[in-house]
Amino acid sequence: MNIQTPAPQALTFADYKSDLKPVWCPGCGDFSVLSAITKALATLQLPREDVALVSGIGCSSRIPAYTSVYGFHSVHGRALPVATGLKSARPDLTVLVAGGDGDGFSIGGNHFLHACRRNVDLTYIVMDNSVYGMTKGQASPTTEGDWTGSKLTPEGPGVAEFQPLEIALSAGANYIARGFSGKPNELTKLICDAVEHPGFSLIHVLSPCVTFRPEQREYKTMVHDGFGGAAFDEGTPDRREAFRRLMDDDGYSCGVLFKGNTPAFKPQTDAPRTIEEIQGDFIL
Amino acid sequence: MSTAFKDMTGAPEFLAHALQLEQEAAVRFDELADMLEVHNNHKGVVELFRKMAHFSRLHLAEAKERAVGVDVPALKPWEFKWPGDEAPESGEITDAHYLMTPHHALKLALASETQGFDFYQGLADNSAHQDVRAMAREFADEEAEHVATLKEWLDRYPEPDSTWDEDMDPPVSVD
Amino acid sequence: MALNSVSLALTGSGGAGVMTSGQVLVDAAAKAGWYGLMARSLGPQIRGGESAALLRLSPEPVQSMDDCYDLMLAVDWGNIERFASEIPLTSKSIIVTDPAQGEVPEIMRRNNPIIVEIPLKEIAKSVEGGRINMVALGLVAKVIGLPEDYCIEVLSKALAKKGPEALEKSIAGMRAGAEYADKLTGVPTLDAPRTDHGERWSITGNEATGLGALRGGVRFVAAYPITPATEVLEYMAPNLPKLGGALVQAEDELASINMAIGGSFGGVPSLTATSGPGLALMTESIGLSVASETPVVIINVQRGGPSTGIPTKSEQVDLNIAINGLHGDAPHLVTAPTSIADSLFTAQWTVYLSEAMQAPAIVLTDQAMGQARAIIDKPADLAFVGQRRKPELVSGAVEDGYQRYAVTNDGVSPMAIPGMKGGEYTADGLEHSPRGTPSTQAQHHQEQLDKRERKLKTFDYGDHWADIEGDGEIAIITWGSVTEQVREAIDRIAETKGLTVKLIALRLLSPALPEKMTEALKGVKKALIVEQSHSKQYTLMLKAHYDLPPVYDTLHRPGPLAIRPHEIVTALDALVAKS
Repeated sequence: MNIQTPAPQALTFADYKSDLKPVWCPGCGDFSVLSAITKALATLQLPREDVALVSGIGCSSRIPAYTSVYGFHSVHGRALPVATGLKSARPDLTVLVAGGDGDGFSIGGNHFLHACRRNVDLTYIVMDNSVYGMTKGQASPTTEGDWTGSKLTPEGPGVAEFQPLEIALSAGANYIARGFSGKPNELTKLICDAVEHPGFSLIHVLSPCVTFRPEQREYKTMVHDGFGGAAFDEGTPDRREAFRRLMDDDGYSCGVLFKGNTPAFKPQTDAPRTIEEIQGDFIL
Repeated sequence: MSTAFKDMTGAPEFLAHALQLEQEAAVRFDELADMLEVHNNHKGVVELFRKMAHFSRLHLAEAKERAVGVDVPALKPWEFKWPGDEAPESGEITDAHYLMTPHHALKLALASETQGFDFYQGLADNSAHQDVRAMAREFADEEAEHVATLKEWLDRYPEPDSTWDEDMDPPVSVD
Repeated sequence: MALNSVSLALTGSGGAGVMTSGQVLVDAAAKAGWYGLMARSLGPQIRGGESAALLRLSPEPVQSMDDCYDLMLAVDWGNIERFASEIPLTSKSIIVTDPAQGEVPEIMRRNNPIIVEIPLKEIAKSVEGGRINMVALGLVAKVIGLPEDYCIEVLSKALAKKGPEALEKSIAGMRAGAEYADKLTGVPTLDAPRTDHGERWSITGNEATGLGALRGGVRFVAAYPITPATEVLEYMAPNLPKLGGALVQAEDELASINMAIGGSFGGVPSLTATSGPGLALMTESIGLSVASETPVVIINVQRGGPSTGIPTKSEQVDLNIAINGLHGDAPHLVTAPTSIADSLFTAQWTVYLSEAMQAPAIVLTDQAMGQARAIIDKPADLAFVGQRRKPELVSGAVEDGYQRYAVTNDGVSPMAIPGMKGGEYTADGLEHSPRGTPSTQAQHHQEQLDKRERKLKTFDYGDHWADIEGDGEIAIITWGSVTEQVREAIDRIAETKGLTVKLIALRLLSPALPEKMTEALKGVKKALIVEQSHSKQYTLMLKAHYDLPPVYDTLHRPGPLAIRPHEIVTALDALVAKS
């Protein structure tokens, strides 16, 4: 390569931001998630060229272009398959996946289940604001059943809320945590931890939508550290205990819930052969 | 996060905090300026945030000078001993609004500078280390000036009436 | 007939083992030096059910079925009505039937074939451990003049795991069957096999497609099973790791296409394989591949449609969706092999095209050639290996501020691969500026649309865009697996009527290359279009993009029955008579 290598010096979090100005509404929680991601990359000092951030469609899915790493802003709901293919084909890369609650849990719900159970070494950051922002504020899978803020469901969606952490735990995710955009340094810690933990990691982030869910500004008064009385960092490797803690979760517990011991998925490998040798199978 | 006073271990750690505080403030104010620029808000608000970012970068340069020859520890983002959830001068993102006026922007900036002042003031008053107290005093004095300036400016921009955030147009469907 | 060949149908139900007999026959014939082809007609059952091994053997290379069968051997008559029409017989055809299975059904007697009763079951019982399919194998092998030794050679390999006793029993069964060969007369004999041929292969269309993709450089595959494409994926699964590649089984086709796109974004040529229903699910993301200029190859093995349709039978009916199924203005590549052997060439070439132009490519094969096994001459080694234009190879591409979607003369922009410093960019399905940043500007949209169209239209496809053979004032324009039947029909016309007919079989279905077609049609006054589609998808595509000769006919009909050479000859006769 004939590209000039800059003098080796530590990258700061600002070095992981691009010069593109986000289209997010002023006040959006996603700005802080972007900040946490860039801080995590700086903390881990990952070379920008060795990191890829993959997303689907939605407000939060705009995030790759706002970073200076490799990015893929794909189609609605398919961030996890794109990331799975990338990581499987290029295990040397650090692959992060980001998106929202509609993208990940509604249209991408099936991929979410299978990404959890496949356990490819990915870090999936879901910015959950319980609303579809890019289409003017419809109910999402995590919206309360009685929320009447949308013209599409004027009486409220009337559907029980999707429980991302319970489902991730059931489906086999190897690392499960919740963060809050208003505490970006804590979130940074979770992202670093998840990146370093093998297998599929889910970080569920409460990230307020100040435009369609202005009441979510109050998240900051509702969040609290730790699940089921455990400390922020105190994730359990025991699924039974993790389920118990989740049963006591009010939806605002932040910290590490579960840290499993399942090895990350790796595609099959085999002894090397040449094309000529493989073709030999067909010779009469 | 607890708001109880957390002392520094010494001047190097204090400088690590000062450097981080200013860098985060600069990035945040630029970010606020970007947000408002993208959303076609009052030019004055964008300019104010850019100015704040500029000042933060100046302070960062000053802090860097102070840090020459000092072995400043590399702290991870969550290891800083901030009194709140973020570095004290990082303007509160959720306080931003696409229709915010210079009054609101000044209030946001004032709040962040006040937090910065409180942070340094706390160390100047309470640190066990003499050198930390001395440096914190200087920084606090500087922040006090900023706070005073912002208050002056704020006087020139009184609170707008309660209709400031009314928008006659519906939101846009983007994706 | 131009081609010396013998066509055989072995039918039976419920695990009678006729498929194994057919497989041994074709492999043994190959060992003896003949060429051959074996297709399967299967019912919807997973195990048992009715099945037919359909074979054609010849001293010459042969990759398609004849008009009718010379010999049909029915182990029993269960469910014969379901596939009777797939086994056309004449008054010269011979049916071997076991009297214990009752009368030959009326449906098979319509053309008055010669019926020979042989007590297959009884013969099998007379040998210790004798199996009826081995009796059938011995009988048929003897009748067509296939020396026993070749069958034993193949069987000993196939039964290696079961031990020498199993082999002995099978041989005894074969020999018992062979003793009845004298009862059959009139089965065409094969000319002596050629002795001058070099290395030959036994391969299915699906395997050939998979191998071609590997040779073209594919090293990542995302798989979701679907009939009749699964064997492409199953062939690649154990072979990819040997070449340093990987295969991941996806949760659905939405995932498999996106996984392939993800792998390709990582710089690894990537592929998925599917059939109509899966292709329909993938179309949104093929659009992503177009917009983000991330190459990906989709092998689509066509089956009867729409909806679940007839999954186990062939049709050429995904042409419309392959060419026109994407939303937006989305230029992309669509190719189709023109024979089982050509599946290798076309797949390899397509990987090369897709990588060179950073565009998605759909390869349309079909059940008829995908699931058929043929004995072919060793395919030529090809120079087509996928290569992307990388920024480090383009002077100034990175130093001056890397532009992933730079507007270039040939429309191909340098593509950075993760791991390459200075090339960091975000691939985007949103319309974008040359830098890759999202844009709604008219100018950006226009120049990117132009660029994506230009790179496909100005590419030098060489002579591979179509198979053009022969000359004459009459041409047959066709595509896909039907091409082999067309070739045979053209040979027959030449031999019986002294009429030369030109063949034009498109390998590149999209983009259309009107100038090349005009050149190919120079001097052609009449054309016959042959395709296996109820709604004339191919004809309509040709009419949309090309200037066809003033007089043309279309021979088109749906599956599952293959279009036979004699139908094409008849249609040609009608066209010739037209003024």
